[in-house]
Amino acid sequence: MLKNKFIIPLTSLVLSCVSLIPASYAQNPAPAIAQSKSIFVTGATIHVGNGQVIENGVIAFDKGIITQIGASGSVTSGNGAEVIDAKGKHIYPGIISLNTTVGLQEIASVRATLDYNEIGQVNPHVRALVAYNTDSEVIPTLRGNGILLSQAVPQGGVISGSSSVFYMDGWNWEDAVLKKDDGIWISWPPFLASSFNYEDFTVSVKRNEKRQEVINVFQATFTDAKAYAETQAPNPVNLRLAAMRPLFDGSANLYIRAEYGKDIIEAVNFAKEMGVKKIVVVGGDESYKVAAFLKENQIPVILNPTHRLPGRVDENVYLPYELPGMLHKAGVKVAITYADEWWRTRNLAFLAGTSSGFGNVTPEEALQFVTKNAAEIIGADKEVGTLEKGKQASFLVTTGDMLDMRGNVIQMAFIKGGKVNLDDKQKRLYEKYKEKYGTK
Amino acid sequence: MFKQLSSLLTCLTFSIICHAQETFPQNGAYDERPGRYAFTNATIVVDSKTTILKGTMLIENGVIREVGKPVKIPAGTVVTDLKEKYIYPSLIDLDSDYGMPEVKRERAAGGRQTPQLESNKKGAFGWNQAIQPENDASQTFTPDAKKAEELRKIGFGTVLIHDHDGIVRGSGAIVTLTDEGANKALLKGKASAHFSFSKGSSSQTYPSSTMGVVALLRQNYYDADWYAKTDKAKETNLSLEAFNQIKTLPAFFETNDKYSVMRADKVGDEFGIQYIIKGGGDEYQRLKEIKATKATLILPLAFPEAYDVADPWDADLVSMAQLKHWEMAPKNPSEVAKAEIPFALTATGLKSKADFWKNLKTAVEYGLPKEKALEALTTIPASLIKAEGQIGSLKSGLLANFIITSGDLFGKDNVIYENWIQGKKFILAPMNAPDVRGTYALTLNNQPSGKLQITGAADKPEYKVIVRDSVKITPKVILSDKLLTMTYQPEKNAGTIRLTGWLSGTGLSGEGILPDGSVVPWTAALSEKYQSVAAKDSTIAKIKETGAVYYPFVGFGNETLPAAETVLIKNATIWTNEKEGILQNADVIVQNGKISKVGKGLSAPSGAKTIDGTGKHLTSGIIDEHSHIALFTINEGGQTSSAEVRMSDVINPDDVNIYRQLAGGVTTSHLLHGSANSIGGQSALIKLKWGASQSDMLIPEVKTIKFALGENVKQSNWGDIVRTRFPQTRMGVEQVFFDHFLRAKDYAASWKTYNASSKKQAANAPRRDIELDALAEILASERFITCHSYVQSEINMLMHVADSLNFKINTFTHILEGYKLADKMAKRGIGGSTFGDWWAYKMEVKEAIPYNAALMYHEGVTVAINSDDAEMARRLNQEAAKTVEYGGVPEAEAWKMVTLNPAKLLHIDNRLGSVKAGKDADLVLWNVHPLSIYARPEFTMIEGAIYFDRKKDEEKQKTMSVERERLIQKMLGDKAEGKPTQKPQATQPKMWHCEDIVGVHTEHETSH
Repeated sequence: MLKNKFIIPLTSLVLSCVSLIPASYAQNPAPAIAQSKSIFVTGATIHVGNGQVIENGVIAFDKGIITQIGASGSVTSGNGAEVIDAKGKHIYPGIISLNTTVGLQEIASVRATLDYNEIGQVNPHVRALVAYNTDSEVIPTLRGNGILLSQAVPQGGVISGSSSVFYMDGWNWEDAVLKKDDGIWISWPPFLASSFNYEDFTVSVKRNEKRQEVINVFQATFTDAKAYAETQAPNPVNLRLAAMRPLFDGSANLYIRAEYGKDIIEAVNFAKEMGVKKIVVVGGDESYKVAAFLKENQIPVILNPTHRLPGRVDENVYLPYELPGMLHKAGVKVAITYADEWWRTRNLAFLAGTSSGFGNVTPEEALQFVTKNAAEIIGADKEVGTLEKGKQASFLVTTGDMLDMRGNVIQMAFIKGGKVNLDDKQKRLYEKYKEKYGTK
Repeated sequence: MFKQLSSLLTCLTFSIICHAQETFPQNGAYDERPGRYAFTNATIVVDSKTTILKGTMLIENGVIREVGKPVKIPAGTVVTDLKEKYIYPSLIDLDSDYGMPEVKRERAAGGRQTPQLESNKKGAFGWNQAIQPENDASQTFTPDAKKAEELRKIGFGTVLIHDHDGIVRGSGAIVTLTDEGANKALLKGKASAHFSFSKGSSSQTYPSSTMGVVALLRQNYYDADWYAKTDKAKETNLSLEAFNQIKTLPAFFETNDKYSVMRADKVGDEFGIQYIIKGGGDEYQRLKEIKATKATLILPLAFPEAYDVADPWDADLVSMAQLKHWEMAPKNPSEVAKAEIPFALTATGLKSKADFWKNLKTAVEYGLPKEKALEALTTIPASLIKAEGQIGSLKSGLLANFIITSGDLFGKDNVIYENWIQGKKFILAPMNAPDVRGTYALTLNNQPSGKLQITGAADKPEYKVIVRDSVKITPKVILSDKLLTMTYQPEKNAGTIRLTGWLSGTGLSGEGILPDGSVVPWTAALSEKYQSVAAKDSTIAKIKETGAVYYPFVGFGNETLPAAETVLIKNATIWTNEKEGILQNADVIVQNGKISKVGKGLSAPSGAKTIDGTGKHLTSGIIDEHSHIALFTINEGGQTSSAEVRMSDVINPDDVNIYRQLAGGVTTSHLLHGSANSIGGQSALIKLKWGASQSDMLIPEVKTIKFALGENVKQSNWGDIVRTRFPQTRMGVEQVFFDHFLRAKDYAASWKTYNASSKKQAANAPRRDIELDALAEILASERFITCHSYVQSEINMLMHVADSLNFKINTFTHILEGYKLADKMAKRGIGGSTFGDWWAYKMEVKEAIPYNAALMYHEGVTVAINSDDAEMARRLNQEAAKTVEYGGVPEAEAWKMVTLNPAKLLHIDNRLGSVKAGKDADLVLWNVHPLSIYARPEFTMIEGAIYFDRKKDEEKQKTMSVERERLIQKMLGDKAEGKPTQKPQATQPKMWHCEDIVGVHTEHETSH
């Protein structure tokens, strides 16, 4: 049995953290200290992330790795372990937020804070990795809502650059990164282009007459990159082509932004012909129309924010909400994101919740859209995505159903076993003004 | 071929008859002729009601002398026998730009530009470049031979012209389409006054929106009236003088859709003017409201081409509204006629004037009575411009403006032979052209060389040469009078045979040159006369059918509007928002659009529909305090104050977001002006009655106005090109308010003095100013301010300005730093309408926190959660739930933030916002706890009528796909018949946020 003297009531723990923070504290809190001893969190409902739910469960972890997980009673106690009683609470794997500009931008209207859009059209060599700012004030607000991992993605151009995946905690990018240069991002030229008419203030969508020009650029760049990848010691070195090498040996994803059914099919077929090993469709507003194609080719989809309006006036009003479930049921691996709306990514859990409320999937399935599936897409499923023995202890303790605003209050978060400080600037302002008004 | 022929003839006649003007000196001998012509044996259609069979019309000197039978024909008259032919009055178009100067734009529309605050027009004119009452079409009219010919060809004789440029476009002129010079053509100057909602070539920044145009026009009427009457004017204003001259003329308003027809009429009503309104051709979509305008319409005959829908995915781009309008547009004139709305027709807007008859005949096939069509092109336009004494019918004394046709003007094969204008003949087609149709045996050099087959219409023969028994070749043929030229290649690449010849007897003969250069004789002997395929009797042809009209005319529209029902909702969890709190297992009765009872164990009134609410939650409908849906335009950013503009002028009941938001439980939306300027426009509160008219949606008693502070007002994020308009700092913003409210105070006082004065007369009345009217209403606590605001300094500033000038701020909206001043707001009773969790999109939201609502709530501020976003609005229940997560607001209080509290802020909580007997039955039944992420409406009811129903929505989607496929099949049929098609494209109004200025987001794509 567990040793009672180590049990710390969770509520007092959270409160004590907050009260220690001086109101004038202006920077992000320090990253978590590496786990120094074994920890058991007991009594919670554990949502494993693969559909399984363990009532009254225990999760044990040491040196940042999950050592045991199961129902209370099936877990053996550890000597000298710290025990946290989480009775009545819920435990979830940390949310993985793909396709964001978190860390690459701070204030949308201030150009000096924007580092996601390099000039030029063909930029496979620019890397989000080195621009990622761990001191962004947005980051702590995200982990406060359960996001523990975030993919920073360059935008713009037809080949935007390469992304990396970061923990929402760390002293610097080197320290925070989980997956370096996990993929190259391209924007497939759409069949349909929209333009704004200043005369009558309308948007018209019609056939894009210029798309072949872009496809020609892709043709040339990918064939050259492939030849370059086959060259032992290329001379001269070409930074662009060198950056694309991992696409051809399967060590990086090719992320293709495409929305319309024809765009998706054409883009995927192009990438396959070019010998790209791992292809991911991003955006995918109309991916449901090509679900069979995606399933057959085992192409996962990273969806645009599903809290959006239908793309067309006559579309089912709930289609965006139902979309993840439709793909899931059709056998397509799907992740939901908040795309480039960096500060809004904290609502990712609610996108998943909405996909269950309005779609044909259970909350446990919906959870996978922001955890397990995302981990598999970025190739980090050995480390994260579900709560299983041998994986990293990166998880959340919440008051209730994390996918619902009414249960989404995150009480504790662990990243690689380290206890994350959940304070952020907004909470500090909250405390400051509660103090002003004398409210509790 | 005939094109060449007729233009040849026109040139010829021009050189023979050349009337000089009487006052003009003549080069060479004078050539005056009596121009006396008689047309006998004709079917004379005097007007739509009078037809004379075998009648005679006598004209002299350009004027009709006599019409009837018998008519004595004086000696010296040129007599034309029109046996079996018809005479009609020539047609009249009231919306022409014939002979008008080309409208040139000073700069391309679009994008961000340095504001131009003043008019570029030099001289003692009005302040706004788009108001040009001084424009006089008779002064700028220059005949245009090519355009005149185009119009004559389709039967027009007279047009009302005006400069199609600007909002007030000046006066129009009546001109004929003669080629005898401007002095002859111009019948009357200053015949009409012209208006539109388009500012045309004006490069001035104001107005930048439709509601701004309305305001400018209204102010112009008031100013002109004041200018005419006052003795206090300190300026000479030629534009106002001109306006006063034209304002009593027949007034024409050009619009482009059904809602702008109504908008124009509303402006007219205010000033006692009944505009004649040029519509957009979609009037059938709102006939009832259009009829209520009592306006005579001018209808276009431009109908959309079918879309190429062969590819099902591409076809998805075409909306239901586009598909249905394609089908129904040709029916518009007939529907308007059926509704007994008076109308004229215009050829303006046609891609090619040659489509005029094709489209008009299509309209007739869709049920437009021929006599209505004729009236709409003759007597009605003539009387609208008070020219019935000159044109429009064939009566003695009127101008000899008429057309001679082969038969019924609207008949399938009718040919217009001649178009006479002011007694001058213009030949369009030879009246007695030989009918050469038939099959001929062709010989070349006396050798049989196949057959020549001539088919088609008598005046438009179609030729085929048949060689080697079955190979059909289409030769190039010119038949001019009795001479013929024909070229063809009997075999591919075998060279061209060229024939020239003439009609001789029943055949043809002449000389030809073979590809080898040899000259040979040729003949074509008639072997078989042309047998016309028995033409279907078009008079009994069935009127073409279409699908039903949807209200509104978009995909999710209904054929009939939902009606209020008597309903008992049983055994639900009811969120009353009243002291009863949340009732378990309770019932609600809805009758006559109101909640009649709330309680337990209620029994159903007779005729009531019972809805089982077991396990479900019933709430009042969501009220979105900050919305920009259902609007055509958002910002009048042309000036720093636009208090004069009204969002109620630009309500768009066709916006699908109304339906989408009903599907999220929203029943009422507060439609705000954008935040482009310190003093925005007057807001409109609407109920989301999907399919209802603008006026049925509007709640007019709620009088509110939008103000704004901060970065948008000072244009911080509009780039360095926009640095002209005051203010550019928060310091300046304060002074804008002081300046405007001090002026409004003086203004209100001057009216008060005037109204109390015993010497009250127009000459000493203050100038009516609709901008200051709105501000004076604020000072009088009759209109309530919703102010867009972010940071504490500016919020504090405005509260102090209001305190010092003794007016009240009603609501701060956005108010993301409201938590810093909640105590000051609470003290003044100012509400806060905020977002759940927005921040980081610009500098002024850097300190926004999701705990804002909770902090304000705890300080006693009335807090609302709003959307400012068409998407977020459809899940405002989720946003309200965030106040529970962030700051622990009790759930029942969180729910009030999207229902009762906005109702309070809008001063309409006596009717809306809670489930209480006597209030409007605006109710939503949720499947689960309404603050849950899994909550969705089972139905959304407004005033007892269910506008959204989850099950019906699913059925509707099925019905829509059936209707859609029916239309697509019909379009594919058109394509198969070779009718022109256009590539699929979708056009929809942009989704607005309050920071959209001329369609450009001020910052990031998603910022607000």
